[in-house]
Formats: sequence, C-alpha cells, structure tokens
Amino acid sequence: MTQFAQNVVLGLLLGGVYALVASGLTLIFGVMKVINIAHGAFLVLASFIGYTLWSALGIDPLLGILVTSPIIFAAGWLTYKVAVEPIRTAPMTSTVLLTFGLALVLEGAMGAIWGNNSTSITPSYAEESFSVAGLFLPKVDVYGLLVAIVVLGALALILTKTWLGRAIRAAAVNSTGAELVGIKVSSVAALVFALGIGAAGAGGAIIGVLYPFVPGSHYLWIARLLAIVVLGGMGSLNGAVLGAVLFGLAETLTAAYISPSWATAVPYLVVFAVLLIRPQGLLGSHLRQDSVTA
Amino acid sequence: MTATVSSTPSKPSKQAVATLRHISPGWIGRIIAALATAAVLAYPLVSDDTYYQNMIIISLVFAVGASGLNIITGFTGYVSLGQSAFIGLGGYTIGVLATKFDTVSPWLWVPVAGLVAAGVAVGLGLVSLRSRGPAFVIITVAFLFLMQQVAVNWEDVTGGTAGLLLPLPTWGIDVINWPFYYALVAILAVQLLMTWWIRRSKFGMGLIAIREDETKAATIGINLPVHKVAAFVASSVFVGMAGAVYGYYLTFIDPLGMFAILISVQIILTLLVGGKATLWGPVLGAFLIEPLNETVNNSLGTLGGGNARLFLFGGLLMAVVVFLPNGILPSLAAFLFRRSREGKAGLVGARIETGGGLESLRKHVTVTEAPATDTTPLLAVTGLRKHFGGIKAVDGCSFTVPRGSITGLIGPNGSGKSTVFNLIDNTIAADAGTIVFDGEHIEKVPAWGRAHRGIGRTYQITRLFAEMTVLENVVAAQRSFSLTQLGRPAITGKEAAEASEFLAFVGMHSYRDQKARALSYGQQKMVELAQVLMLDPKLIMLDEPAGGINPVLIERMGQMIRELNSYGKTFLIVEHNMPFMLDLCDPIHVLARGATMASGTPDEIRTDPAVIDAYLGDDFTTTRQDVH
Repeated sequence: MTQFAQNVVLGLLLGGVYALVASGLTLIFGVMKVINIAHGAFLVLASFIGYTLWSALGIDPLLGILVTSPIIFAAGWLTYKVAVEPIRTAPMTSTVLLTFGLALVLEGAMGAIWGNNSTSITPSYAEESFSVAGLFLPKVDVYGLLVAIVVLGALALILTKTWLGRAIRAAAVNSTGAELVGIKVSSVAALVFALGIGAAGAGGAIIGVLYPFVPGSHYLWIARLLAIVVLGGMGSLNGAVLGAVLFGLAETLTAAYISPSWATAVPYLVVFAVLLIRPQGLLGSHLRQDSVTA
Repeated sequence: MTATVSSTPSKPSKQAVATLRHISPGWIGRIIAALATAAVLAYPLVSDDTYYQNMIIISLVFAVGASGLNIITGFTGYVSLGQSAFIGLGGYTIGVLATKFDTVSPWLWVPVAGLVAAGVAVGLGLVSLRSRGPAFVIITVAFLFLMQQVAVNWEDVTGGTAGLLLPLPTWGIDVINWPFYYALVAILAVQLLMTWWIRRSKFGMGLIAIREDETKAATIGINLPVHKVAAFVASSVFVGMAGAVYGYYLTFIDPLGMFAILISVQIILTLLVGGKATLWGPVLGAFLIEPLNETVNNSLGTLGGGNARLFLFGGLLMAVVVFLPNGILPSLAAFLFRRSREGKAGLVGARIETGGGLESLRKHVTVTEAPATDTTPLLAVTGLRKHFGGIKAVDGCSFTVPRGSITGLIGPNGSGKSTVFNLIDNTIAADAGTIVFDGEHIEKVPAWGRAHRGIGRTYQITRLFAEMTVLENVVAAQRSFSLTQLGRPAITGKEAAEASEFLAFVGMHSYRDQKARALSYGQQKMVELAQVLMLDPKLIMLDEPAGGINPVLIERMGQMIRELNSYGKTFLIVEHNMPFMLDLCDPIHVLARGATMASGTPDEIRTDPAVIDAYLGDDFTTTRQDVH
C-alpha cells in the first residue's frame, strides 16, 4: 500500500511539471490553432541551455530558469515572426509541417552544438529526498512542482485578470472580431507563441534535472505533450493540467506495475484512443461545426 | 509507360528553344519524361558506377513512396507522416519470411509485402473516417512510432533492436544491382499507371471532392468509407512492395532504419517539392531530394551523426511550406497558363445568362405525375433534436413535406432552420428524433445514402469544390453507388451533356470550364443548384436560394422552382424573403427556438398573431402591399 501511495505521489509530482510544459502547447493551439510540433524541441533546448549554465558557469539548474526561460521566450517570439506569421492563414496542416521542420532543425542544431551523447544535470541535491509521512519526495520533483505552480499561476492570472488576457481570449474566439475592436492580433499571437514556448523552456530546465536527454529526445516529448493536450482537450488550459496529472500517474503506474518498456508506448496509445473515441478530449468544448464559414 | 525525370538530358540550345515554342508545354513535358525514362533504363547497362546506381535505386524507392502518398495527400487531402511505415512493413515482411523460409527465393515475398502493407493501410483508412486534418497527422506519427515499438518489442519475430540479416543475393557480382534496380523501375511504372488511371476515374474525382470538402462530398452521394479505404490501399500496396525490394537490397533491417520518421519526412518533402496531385511531381521530387540528401551528407559530414540531414530536411520542409506550397510542377503549369492567357479578358465578370429552355430538362430528370391518392408525406420529421453544448439549436422540431409540394420553412435568425437541413441530410448527426423519407426511416442512413435515396440540398453559404471546374462540380454528384462505377471515366460524354443541360438551365453554361473558386457568390448558388439537379432528387432542399442574388435572378429562381415542381419535384425551402416565400410556398412551417410554432397556408401564416409577434412584425402587412 505504501509502495502504491509512493508511486501515486511520484506520478502527481511528475504531472505538475508535465502540466507546465503542456499548458504552453495548449495555449498556442487555443489562440492560434497552431499545433507546435517544435514544442518538444524547445523543451530539450532549454535542458541543454540549463546544462551549459550549470556545467560551465556553476549556476544552479533550477535558478537557471530565470535565464533559460527568457532566452526560450525570445526564441519563440522570433520563430513566430520569421516562420509562423507568413503562413497564418494557410491550412492547419501547413503549420504542422512547418513546426515539424523547425523541430528537425533544432534537433540538428543541438546535435551540432552539444553532441548526440546522453547528457544529464546532477546538482548536489539531485539524489536527495524529503521524507513526509513515510513517503519519499525527491527534492528535484518538489522544487519542479513549486516552479510549475508559480508559473502556471502567473499564466492563469495573466489570462483572466489583465487586458492582455482578455485580448488573448478574444483573439482565440474570433480573431477578425478582435481585430475590429482594436486588438492587434498579430502582436498578441506573437506574444502568446513566445509565452507558450517560454513555459516549455521553464519546464525543460526542470526536466533536464529529472531525466538524461539527447537532441532526439524531443520526439518522445512531443508525443507525450500531444497525448496530454489531446487527452485534456486541445486549447483548454484546465484540460492540459488535468491531462498532465492523469498522464503522469498513468506513466508512473505503468512503469511500476507493467513494464518500463511499455511506458514509452503509452503516449502513442493515448493519442490513438482519445482522437478516435472522444476527439474533443476530456474538457474540450464541443463547438457547433455547421456554422463554420468558408 | 515507365519513366522518371532525372537531370541527365542536356539543356536544349537556344535555337531548339525557339522551335520548341511552337510545341505545347504538355508535349515538351512528355519528351523530357521519355528521354529521362530512357536514361534511367539504360544507365546500369552503360555504367557500372555503383555510387550512382545506389542513388537511383534509393530515388526510385522514394518516388514510389511519394507517388503512393500522393493518392491520399495530393488527391484526398490527408497529410500523413506515417508513409515510411509502409516501407518498413514491406522490409520486415521480406526480412521475416526470407529468414524463416530460406529455401525459396526472397523475391516471392515482394507481392506478399504489398498485401501486408495494404492490410495495415485498411486500418489507417478506417482511422481517417474519424479524424481529419492536423489530428490525422498526429495519429499517423503515433502510428509510425507504434510500428517501431512493435518491431522493437516483438523480438521472437523481428529480432528486436538487433534487426534481421537477409540472405545475400545469389547472382553475379557484376550485375548485383540490376534485379533491384529494374524491379523498382517496374513497381514505379505500375504505381504511376495506377495514379494516372485514378486521376481519370470516378474514384479519383470522388477523392478530389473529399479533399475539397468532405462533408459536402457526402451530401452529393460520395461514399466516404469506400473511397477513403480504397485510397489508403492504393497509397500503400506498391510502397510495401518497394519497401520489400529496398529491404532485400540493404540485406539488413532494423526498427530505427525501417520505421524512421526522417524517411517519412523525405517522402513528404519529395511530394511537396515535386507537386501534389500531379502524376510526375513525386518522381521529379524524388530525383531532386535524394541526390541533394547524398551530396549534403557527404560534404557536410563534419557536423556529425546525421545532423546535416536534419538541417537539410527541416530547413527544406519549412522553406517549401512557406515559399513553394504548390510544388514545382503545379507552379510551372500555373506560370505557363498565365502566360498563355495574357491580354485575354476573363469571363468571370460576365452576366449570368437568362438560361436555356426549361423544356429540355424533362429529358434528364425523373418526371413523376404524382397520383392524387398518395397522401403520405414525402418527408416527415418528428421530435428532431440537436444540442451544441448548452445551445438547443433544434429542440423537438416536427413537420411534414407533402409530395409534390413547395414547402417553406421560415423563422427568425437562429431559430434552427439551417440546422434542421443539416440534420435531414446528415451533414451533422441528430441527437434524437425520427426522419421518415418516402416511407423509410433514414435516421441511421449516412449522408451519401440519403443523397442516393433522393435528398439533394444547397447550402446557405455555397460549398462548391473550389479547385474543380464548374462542369466537374456538377458531374461529381453521384446518384447511386457501386464498386464498378468507381472505375468508370470521371466524366462520360453522356454525363457531360446532361450536366451542360443543367448548367444551361441555371444560366451558367458559358462558365462550365472555369474553376469554381473564380465565381461570384450568386453564380456559385446557381452552380450548386445544377449540382443538386444532377442527383435527380425527389426532394430538393434549398437554403436561402434568394439570399445575396439580384432581383432578376430571384425572379428566375422562382420560375425554375415552379418549373421543376411541375415535373413532380418536391421542394423544402428556407428563406427570409417573405414576398418570395408567401408567393411560392404552400404549406409553410414557422420555426422558433428550434421547434415548430405554426404551420399552414401562406394566408394563415400571414395573419397568425403568434407568427407576427415572433417573426414577421406588426408592419409586415403594409410592407407586403408596398411590394405589389
């Protein structure tokens, strides 16, 4: 029983970090209807930057988020302006291919800079745990969860309490209408893209401490992230959090009770099952489709 | 029939270009294709350079892969990043069987590999019935990685991550590549022949209709599951065979090499660069991308472990999506077309004609002299319901459409009229309620089945297939479905003649060869009506036929409806133009908040206090007198 509780707690902790990264992906989809396949690559890029900050400059990998996230945020903004904006009106599959191409370029760049060997970040507390009521809570997971809660909370506040948040939501629901009432949709979109990717950056810095990584890790991550947002309902922030927690649990429990090699197949199976059985996900809204204009 | 395009033919001289100008571009293309084919066929005979032989062999594999992908992506509109899975399946089929039965020739397993790939493709085709667009792209990636996982984990059969070694070829070392080379040329030839045939058949036309507007395609009688599953089989069977030859050629297969996402990316790049929905585009793309890939890998190998390839493919993919979305061949064709049309006035702005003789229609539509005794309604809906989340768009709507009538459906905006149409023809599925058409319950009948039973409808916002010509749009409608019909030519002479009559009837005959996207809204409405007539439906449902068209055309629309009605066609019309409706329709049903609130003759409706209160307004009677 304790063992089971231990696994559940680990799954929940992991789910918090997943939620942080997935929220960025779902935010970008919700506002722009762009599925950013490069999301996983930006995540791994953040891990590599965190690694360099830690190994070369001795900056604590979790404090390093304060440096890593802005860098990734800027990269996201630039990506939007250079690559995504020119094809905003193209069919959604075009942006899927475009961001897929970007993911490959990033993978190649990371391989050229950091090499294709497995890299890990091991600060002094990497192996330490808090002990609460007989359960072990690894310090990295706990710190990661705290960072995730802070960033997610800030994101939620921005979306619900600020003018920018209203502009973002307006642009998400009806971009032409938002433009008509004075919202500069392309600026909002660039900002959202950068924010979403910045969230992936924050998550990537934490994940770099949790797992070893290689440039090619981004395939597994994008599969995981897509599984999470598809499960929660694409475009729904609450859905992404719920999906992430459920997914973290499912993965931890599969690895513990079935086999670790099957845990890697979980995301693909989830994607298949959800898209076929309930395409709108758990919390996705079921919009009317018949009034869509050409 | 076999041909590929390579860079082998030398550039024509200036004089040659001058004389070539008098030859049509189509013939220049054919000459280039023939020369390239000859060059590829002759190459192994004249040169034993295995480096280039290898390059051509790999290019041929990609040409087959991309040409297969073309059928579902170029024609049907489903982008797949899982195409390399079929190469992998082919490779594993030959690998597993050749190591198990080492006494028979591995060539025997090549056709088997095609069947295995086709079998798996049926599954993917069924998936495409439930998911479209980007969701489908994601599924195909998941599909590829799942295949890879299976190859890794099913060690007893696949050898796991260690892979499988195939028996070495038994023929002479000096012609070692020939069998692989010519086998792939043959497979590509059959693949291209099939593509050529599909493009000219009813099947291909159905696929293009699905690409342009899947929902609409279903409502004009196109059987979606059969078309899509067949398309997926066609897109994979020869790719599986090419994969088998490829696996035998490599003599070693493993999960990472066979189910590689990068191979999928190269296939999709090949297709995009060459040009979607063209016959030769994938071949051209294959012979451009693969040599480029080789060159870059050889010259930039210093970047280490395949990174150069990632830069090349990633960067190219981004560049093609942004700068060359249509690919080389379509862009070239568009350029030549524009040049040939320079200085010639377009037709698009011309007036819609007054229309051909209405009499001629009697030949093409079923004329029923409805027996007066048959009083069962043609259509009866009861308790129809559709909720979108909390919005009750249709909520307990019931009404009947008598045989031979022109029935009107009116009501305030948002009262659910268009949704009722969508429920009747199954553009969207109803939550509850019964629909009885011509004495038969059709709630469970798919959209195309309803079209075959005799329901045709137009849309409030027209939905023509933008990239098809007007004539193709009309002919795309299918009155019935049979497997043999799929193989018939896309447009038979009889159909063209019939469609021309309908186009003349709606006054759009001189536009028949224009692309539908070039037409104005009013013109599209007329073409959509002709398209529906092609179904020869018993019930014609018109969604705002008089909306957004000029008064003369409204008058003409009224005449056409009466004329068709006199042949026994029943109408159900949604429209806000009250004089038009009260003049034309009997009975009229009034919808409010998703339910029928009143039914009756025009005079009853006009004077019904509840209807005046909910919809028409107090001053309606005076407005009407102003009109006359």
